[in-house]
Amino acid sequence: MQKVLNREIKELITAYPEVGRVLEEYGIGCAPCSVGSCLLKDVVGIHNLDPQKEATLMYRIEKAIYPDRKISEPVVDMTRKAEPKKITYSPPVKKLVDEHVLIKRLLALIPSIVEFTESSLKVDKNLILGCVDFIRTYADKYHHMKEEDILFKYIDEKAEIIQVMYKDHDIGRGYVRQAVEGAEKNNKTQVKENLLAYRDLLTQHIKKEDEILYPWIDRQLSTTQVGEMFRKCNDADALVGDELPRKYEKFIVELEEKFLQEVTK
Amino acid sequence: MSGCPGSKTIDFSEKTNQEGNETGKRPSQLRQWPIQLHLVSPMAPYFQGKDILLAADCTAFAFGEFHKDYLKGKSIAIACPKLDSDQEIYVDKIKSLIDDAKINTLSVMIMQVPCCFGLAQIAKDGAEKASRKIPVKQIVVGLEGNILSEEWI
Ligand SMILES: [Fe+2]
Ligand SMILES: [Fe+2]
Repeated sequence: MQKVLNREIKELITAYPEVGRVLEEYGIGCAPCSVGSCLLKDVVGIHNLDPQKEATLMYRIEKAIYPDRKISEPVVDMTRKAEPKKITYSPPVKKLVDEHVLIKRLLALIPSIVEFTESSLKVDKNLILGCVDFIRTYADKYHHMKEEDILFKYIDEKAEIIQVMYKDHDIGRGYVRQAVEGAEKNNKTQVKENLLAYRDLLTQHIKKEDEILYPWIDRQLSTTQVGEMFRKCNDADALVGDELPRKYEKFIVELEEKFLQEVTK
Repeated sequence: MSGCPGSKTIDFSEKTNQEGNETGKRPSQLRQWPIQLHLVSPMAPYFQGKDILLAADCTAFAFGEFHKDYLKGKSIAIACPKLDSDQEIYVDKIKSLIDDAKINTLSVMIMQVPCCFGLAQIAKDGAEKASRKIPVKQIVVGLEGNILSEEWI
């Protein structure tokens, strides 16, 4: 089993699809991951399951890989502290979680924007470029930069999960470039496909951050580091000023008004 | 149940020393004097830019690993929200620690009894009055010396 713990998750799931299904049952969605090079032991560790759950999960994975092997019932270490159900974040991480909310509001509007684009004669270039400006300035420059330049610096940046996050950010930037090109060339399909792909990617990405990555980072931060990170994030925010988040909040509110009206028309 | 839980008599002398042992030295992690909140000055060098532990008087006696787990690396101020007088001064001192001493974080350690939450309130009031913002954490110690909760507030 020790050997299995040190194997890459994607390779394991490919060889034993049952492992993917078992992980899924425990809320560990590794199967659709874009990288999949996390080691099984890290995947399990990062989710901070309670000892009972973790032991039975490991037992079931072992069973899935070696169905014929006689495997002893899990021994449970009840002294290990289990995570309380409700996730609580440190203040600087909480601020990042709150920023996700505005990004998710844009993601929620994308299907309507796509529908609107399809039913219009021409791609509404201003609309698409407005969304792209939100994504590039608010989601990417304002939010992702704090993750990349501040938050991720507090942990081993070589950790697989961080590599996955970087990769997601990059893939997202690619979709946005493609969407802009589509808008410039009045290519509806290109706009549609890339906006929807961005929506899927970021929805998963934010979920991973809120539920797994951020709590995992928080557990590793010392009190001193939390204070320091809080200051760095505030300094970064002060540098751009409060005008920027206000401007993009207003942008989203107006977009919501526009598309809610579209729906009720 | 009647009477104030903060001063109710409870005897757990029958409790045997669980997993702890007598070996190993526990050096003091205190790096300053004075420590009482009325006596300390926010201008003291040991507060500047530091992580501060604001501990209710009883916590250090209740929690066995106080020095190793919570005092280490921090500067401290102690107070009792039930018995101390002139607590408005406490609020102003917290404010001054945040604004003038530019402390990094504030951790408030209190006992689980209701009156002790007054100290957390003092910390919150001071933090609200301050113009700088810093992370504030609340740690609640059970009567038998266990950590009941630890969270950013
Ligand atoms: Fe991210
Ligand atoms: Fe994010």
